[in-house]
Amino acid sequence: MTDNKNRCVITGLGMICAIGNNVDETWSNALKGVSGIKNTQTVDTEGCYATLAAEVHDDTLDECPHSDEMDRVSKLCVKAAKEALDDAGYSINENESGRVSVIMGSCVGGVASIEKYYRSGEPEEDITKMPISAIANQVAYVYGANGIVTNIANACAAGTISIAYACDLIRSGKCDVAIAGGADAFASVPYAGFLSLHALAENGCSPFNHCDGITLGEGSGVLIVESYEHAKARNAKIYCEVLGSGISSDAHHITAPREDGEGQMNAIRQALDKSGVPEDEIGYINAHGTGTAKNDNAEFLSLHTIFDDKNDNLSVSSTKAMVGHCLGAAGAIEAVFSVKALTENMVPPTIGYSDEDIEALKEKAGKIDFRPNEAKSKELTTVMSNSFAFGGNNASIVFSKNEGNVSVIDNPEKVYITGLGVVSSCGNGIDNYVDKYNAGVCPESTSVASEVGSADYASCGLKMAFYRKLDKFSQLQAVSGMNAILDADLTINDDNAKDIGIVVGTAAGPLATICTFQKDLIEGGNAAGSAFRFPNTVYNAAGGYLSICSGIKGYNATVTNGAQSGLASVAYAVEVLRQGKNSIVLATGTDENCDIMTELYGKLGKVAANTGRAYSGMDGYVLGDGSTTLVLESESSLKERGAKPYAEVAGYGMAHSAVAFGQLEGSGDALCEAIRFAAEDAGMKLEDIDAIVGFGNGDKEIDTLELDAYRKVFGDDFALPVFTVKDTTGEGRAASAALSATHAALMLSDKYKVAGRAYKLSGKAMVQSDVDTAAFKNVLVTSYGIGGSYCAVLIRRV
Amino acid sequence: MNEQQISEKIKELLIENLGIEAEVLTDEIPLFGDGIGLDSIDSLEMIAAIDKEFGVSMTGVGKEPFYNVASLTKYVAEHL
Repeated sequence: MTDNKNRCVITGLGMICAIGNNVDETWSNALKGVSGIKNTQTVDTEGCYATLAAEVHDDTLDECPHSDEMDRVSKLCVKAAKEALDDAGYSINENESGRVSVIMGSCVGGVASIEKYYRSGEPEEDITKMPISAIANQVAYVYGANGIVTNIANACAAGTISIAYACDLIRSGKCDVAIAGGADAFASVPYAGFLSLHALAENGCSPFNHCDGITLGEGSGVLIVESYEHAKARNAKIYCEVLGSGISSDAHHITAPREDGEGQMNAIRQALDKSGVPEDEIGYINAHGTGTAKNDNAEFLSLHTIFDDKNDNLSVSSTKAMVGHCLGAAGAIEAVFSVKALTENMVPPTIGYSDEDIEALKEKAGKIDFRPNEAKSKELTTVMSNSFAFGGNNASIVFSKNEGNVSVIDNPEKVYITGLGVVSSCGNGIDNYVDKYNAGVCPESTSVASEVGSADYASCGLKMAFYRKLDKFSQLQAVSGMNAILDADLTINDDNAKDIGIVVGTAAGPLATICTFQKDLIEGGNAAGSAFRFPNTVYNAAGGYLSICSGIKGYNATVTNGAQSGLASVAYAVEVLRQGKNSIVLATGTDENCDIMTELYGKLGKVAANTGRAYSGMDGYVLGDGSTTLVLESESSLKERGAKPYAEVAGYGMAHSAVAFGQLEGSGDALCEAIRFAAEDAGMKLEDIDAIVGFGNGDKEIDTLELDAYRKVFGDDFALPVFTVKDTTGEGRAASAALSATHAALMLSDKYKVAGRAYKLSGKAMVQSDVDTAAFKNVLVTSYGIGGSYCAVLIRRV
Repeated sequence: MNEQQISEKIKELLIENLGIEAEVLTDEIPLFGDGIGLDSIDSLEMIAAIDKEFGVSMTGVGKEPFYNVASLTKYVAEHL
């Protein structure tokens, strides 16, 4: 049985979708088989062959606090979060706000605000509503959560992965409560995109039945995930346990699932294994069941392969037939459906079957009850929810009335950095970066960008037939990722592919590609979406392509919450490794710069008028970009491979101080907390820290906040040398955050000689001086995210 | 518009819409082979671009005209 300290429970549910504006209404309609699919009332359908959508009708969405600062996607999420918190009987008080996390999944984020921006004269106020990053921050801001706040951007699997990650954080003691789930709003970008792929069903989706396409929905599902002990201590109502989860990559195609179901089965088997429950305990599966032939055929195959002969009492349904495909919200909404099914002992139906269809289903269903048209009363003990996404990302999670047998590793292995890959505005490759840093090369303009070309692709074995399909964001990631694999001397083969994962961190993801896609729709109509470009509009495309070109089939997550995402990815990867989910994980930071990004950041006043160094008191910074990948590896894997580490990742800390999204002011205490947590996690004293690779970029607000926090933590006259990568590369956001960890690893390794050019406090000013790095044993790396999220990682000499 | 101009325009469309590098795109290189590796999504894109540019519909047309730039040029020239 799962130890009490490792038990995660659900104590609150919230949901809004096309068939209900709360859980009770939705659940009651689901059991009645009500469809929310109707002709869309919000996007232009001229010249489009499919006109249906499952839209939310709720005129109270603007009633939440700060709604004028939010895209529709955040309003949906904030509303569902309120219901979940109320249902849990939990309001976040100041004393324990630092133990409450917010993890939200989304696929398209604030795309409606991107459309509004381009249609209404490009006002500045729309810009901070655009990225997925905003969603979890806004939930945290409204309800006062100050734990780990982030978003999971793995397209249609995002909602499921966010709940899985929330449980991992609770089990590792990083928080007590997580507000977890997902949200997406229906908008022209996903509509026109799926239309361009001919993936929309003309007559409404018909999962496991006609299988002629999806129908898009919208909404949000939010669950209060809580440690059992915390829930018990406050005498909370407990719906059920969350047992294990499985997350995998297909390494196959950017939009289509593997026909052989291998990736799906890897996720499902891993979820069963981590839960410690046998196949025959699963009474109900809320399937991914999108209604496309490719998904449904693969899913039929996966379910039959795993459960036939082992489970004669399995019911399966796809609630998407009623609520549409809610993309990043789908996994979360379906988790709520799964929990309701489990606790009410009712299986919701897959609607839309004629008598003829039911006959046809019998052959495909075999012994599995696909529950056509009508709900069924059934005693349930344990249920599963599956989500499979663009990019070949698969996620499966298990909910149960029982404690299960979740095994958690109490004494996790050490984690080492064994490979590095760098693409930056000062050139590509580690040698190049070290040379440029040592030479003191600085950006020549206030907006600088990385470039990857034929030579870069050739050096890591990428062919044009592959890389021509990628947008710049994904190209940067593919090159840094493949170079890191080469640097780690890592060969990926059938034996180890499932044991290697990817965690991509990004602040803005493919925002420029989404903007371009949106502008084309405004010019040519929603029937003019580019089928070539659309797959690149999802944030996890970069991680998906990296899985395809490298053959990696393990964990795959894309985490997005401002610049610190490039360091939060390292923290996330450490968690995956510590829990033994994989032995090797690529942790990355990637963001792109281009005319569109320079315009957006410029309008927000973030791009400085002139070039300048860190701590020079500018308004804004030099905007840069790039991609950095670190290969992180468990000690046993490192020994087995005979790999040589650069350094050890000794620990991490993350904290949040909720301020308005787009702001930092007033959130500095969370940086102090993140540093203290990192030291605690690493079993280190603050005085053991020899140097900092910080996030100074020249912007006086950011630099002042950073130094004030160091003063609070290390003393008013702290003597620690502070390094910054941004004098060399500009503010590359997530790329710079991951490059900061790389810089620390390079300083601590004997492989490279890195100049000791650092900033030291002299009076009130930071003055450059040359320090001896040879004696450094422990280097702290810090990063920030607008909205008030901070991440700190400690890197130790081996 | 002569065949030379049609061919140049088709190359422009392929380079701009499908990320193909200009220096490898000759009239003869197979578009669906290993080198360039077009797939079914790319053909949707190509059909849309050719329709928009030349007003020539290639929806439902067999595989042959898509073999290379030369065969696309021939098809477009014959159906302009």
